[in-house]
Amino acid sequence: MRWATRAGVHIDRAACAWLIRGFVDPDAEFLFVGDVAEVPGDATPFDMRGVALGHVGGDCSFETILRRYELTDPVLWRIAEIVHVADLDDDRFDAPEAPGLDVLLRGLSMTGDDARTLAVSGPLFDGLYEYHRRRALLGREPA
Amino acid sequence: MMSYRLPREPSGPRTTLWRRLRRLGVAQVADGVVALPADARTREQLEWLADDVLAAAGTAGVWLARPTTAAQERALAAGLAAARAAEYRDLVAACGAADGPRDLRRLRTEWRAVSRRDFFPPPEREEAAAALRELESRVAARAAEPVR
Repeated sequence: MRWATRAGVHIDRAACAWLIRGFVDPDAEFLFVGDVAEVPGDATPFDMRGVALGHVGGDCSFETILRRYELTDPVLWRIAEIVHVADLDDDRFDAPEAPGLDVLLRGLSMTGDDARTLAVSGPLFDGLYEYHRRRALLGREPA
Repeated sequence: MMSYRLPREPSGPRTTLWRRLRRLGVAQVADGVVALPADARTREQLEWLADDVLAAAGTAGVWLARPTTAAQERALAAGLAAARAAEYRDLVAACGAADGPRDLRRLRTEWRAVSRRDFFPPPEREEAAAALRELESRVAARAAEPVR
């Protein structure tokens, strides 16, 4: 399936793309557009103004996708807290990883195009997922 | 620039919007008109807020606006710088009154929040940074003291 989002990928869109490819649609193909009007008819838009998979009632797009696709994995919801704080910067959750992750993603967007940002950030989110999975299993900080 | 109108009742969405606008550090140009220096990030932030206003049965629009005179532009920037300067001065005062690692952590967070909405850094920014460094060394020196 094709998925479209706003060009100039930062934390929320990078995390959404990782989430979509890993947990919603393994064959996902991503397009980057300037405006919602440029989204082709066969593509699902996300993290854009006025689309279903955007910011909804204080949630960032990552949280909206988790709700929409009924993903209840607690590790994903922990990552959602990090993405939320990094994106909205509103201290709603305790997420000390957020400022660092936000800076990394912003730096990536300065040194490469959106496809590269997704390619590089994907393994970062894989690592974040594994870390929090082990932490949840162990009930303490993993080594 | 964002223009917006929200119904007076319920007051919840108004309060939320006000809090979010304050966090972004916008310039209030007029009733229902706020502005930020234009870049990809500020534009996106205002667009999400505009959607929130629409969802709360209000009307909103995001515009790329340019003042017609340099004086008008300077006044807008000076207003933003003055608002941040006041926040930095509060930080300096809070650093002077603080002494523990917990205070330090809270004030570092506060410093980051103010820095993020600081588009025209006033001289007070450096004063606040210095006060924070001073507090850091005070806290470090206390931690190095032998326990009696």
